[in-house]
Amino acid sequence: MAISLSKGGNVNLSKEAPNLENVLVGLGWDARATDGKDFDLDASLFMVKDDGKVPDDSHFIFYNQKTSPDGSVEHTGDNLTGEGEGDDESVYVTLSKVPATIQRLVIVVTIHDAEARGQNFGQVSNAFVRIVNRDNNQEVVRFDLSEDYSTETAMIFGEIYRHSGDWKFKAVGQGYAGGLKALAQQHGVNVG
Amino acid sequence: MDLTRGQRAKITDLIANGERFGLGVAIQAPGLSIDFACFGLDAAGKLADERYMTFFNQPTSPCGGVRLSTPISTAASGPSAALAGGPSGHPGDQIRFDIDLGKLPPSIERLTITAAIEGAGAMSNIGQGHVRFLDGDGDGTTESGRFAFSGADFAAERALMLLEVYRKGGVWRTCAIGQGFNGGLAALVEHFGGTVAEPTPAAAPPQPPPPGQPQPLTSQGTRSRATTSQASPPPASQSPPSQPKSPPVNLSKITLEKKGNRISLEKQGHAEHGEILINLSWRPAAAGTVKRGLFGGKRTNQIDLDLGCLIELRTGDKGAIQALGNNFGDLLKPPYIALDADDRSGTSSEGENLRINGQHWDAIRRVLIYAFIYEGAPNWAEANAKISLKTPGQPEIEVQLDSQSNHQPMCAIALLENDAGAVRITKLVDYYRGHREVDQAHHWGLRWTSGSKD
Repeated sequence: MAISLSKGGNVNLSKEAPNLENVLVGLGWDARATDGKDFDLDASLFMVKDDGKVPDDSHFIFYNQKTSPDGSVEHTGDNLTGEGEGDDESVYVTLSKVPATIQRLVIVVTIHDAEARGQNFGQVSNAFVRIVNRDNNQEVVRFDLSEDYSTETAMIFGEIYRHSGDWKFKAVGQGYAGGLKALAQQHGVNVG
Repeated sequence: MDLTRGQRAKITDLIANGERFGLGVAIQAPGLSIDFACFGLDAAGKLADERYMTFFNQPTSPCGGVRLSTPISTAASGPSAALAGGPSGHPGDQIRFDIDLGKLPPSIERLTITAAIEGAGAMSNIGQGHVRFLDGDGDGTTESGRFAFSGADFAAERALMLLEVYRKGGVWRTCAIGQGFNGGLAALVEHFGGTVAEPTPAAAPPQPPPPGQPQPLTSQGTRSRATTSQASPPPASQSPPSQPKSPPVNLSKITLEKKGNRISLEKQGHAEHGEILINLSWRPAAAGTVKRGLFGGKRTNQIDLDLGCLIELRTGDKGAIQALGNNFGDLLKPPYIALDADDRSGTSSEGENLRINGQHWDAIRRVLIYAFIYEGAPNWAEANAKISLKTPGQPEIEVQLDSQSNHQPMCAIALLENDAGAVRITKLVDYYRGHREVDQAHHWGLRWTSGSKD
């Protein structure tokens, strides 16, 4: 039985799923029910040190850079519409391969081209993030972002982080304006 | 507070008492006919109870928590009463919903304000529009929040969800939606859980008109088709779980309750129109109920209403067709309009009929349908009169004549205009003292003398 977190809550993954190694970070949202430009939401992951910054740009995993140099994080691909049941986008994480200098894996979802399309998270419904043990396909923890978001165009859904030798997951649910660019810059990525 | 699309806020941040407020709505859309509604939805976002669709035909929800009213005045109060976008903006609201959240039953979780174009057109063609929160009761309202939008925000949408007020965790909130459906009102009703009974005819989707070009509106558009019905649901075992159990919202019969409402019976290809039949019927008064009224000295228990029309042909010829003066017209030669009989009592089951020969619609420029009380009733409410307008293949249009005024026995009912071959119908329902006033109001230019049928 997976744990369901609410905003701000956290769970010890190492305790809930002992020997957790191969992780699927599943992210989902509803496609728009109305006519108009699709909501193209993108999942990205920042591998950050204890100062909250990436060691270098190669530790920013997103649709144009799907794999980290160490092979620990792999983006499975870009879904352009959010159609279909289940995860719309997902990221694989191999926990043992995550370099020791990396303290946190920050999982974000941003709306592509939000400004030009006049879109924001206030228009997106039923967003969630879930952590699945790929070795047995068991969902370990889930966070439904049931809060009503408003005009944010970027959102930190959650983060996987080291804590006293264990891996934990925190439900963040924090929105930002400025889309992926602002979030990337905040995490130390040099955005061209 | 300015709300942008997707923005959410607590009602208590907008409304002092958190419960009672007005939602003023306006859309500048020259050449388009737009209908507004407020859908009261359940937790699943569905219209579980059709009585919670508040619109001009059903202006109050059963609980009284949603009431439709026309704006109190165009000189609205508030610091930004003018529409955003320039001094030329319309200053007020076209329609207003008075909301009292405290009266809503627990089953209603969501109120969604919608706008739908009647007939052809697209929301990209609208000018400025808004939904605004009006804090306070009655006349003493001030604007406390505004969601402004314009045609640039949309593409081919023909129906929009503008704004919603919803309950979340026991707290009422609002969201500026500004999204919609190309399929118009029918798609909107489907989104709210209704089903469309009649499939869309295999006609090409309407092309968005060029900006600023008013397009003829077609009655084959939204309202006539937006018939939601579970009249013959499949057996329960096969019924999808989302099937609403409520009675259907049936919008198939057009009742032009709203003054100035327009539909156009658009010409299909080169086919001529069929016969347009206008019927006036009334319920004869029971003996003794007729009061001394307009025709004071001449007491009678018979009510005699007359149907007639002013006509103007392409040739410029003008005239009137009515029993008074024995101008019954002719269906087969100009003016191609005929009155079939003079029903002196209303007892004829068919009432009085005026027929327009649609095959010769091209010869006609405009027709103004009117009715008047010849005898027996002091006002329209007492005469219990009803006008219907039937065109082959089109929904019937019905107008109830219900004025209580004793000094205006004449009613201009509808104006039929030849709009590039289409029959454009505008509901008037304006009451006048007599023929001359109607003529003057519509610049017909006939000379009138008094006449009598006897």
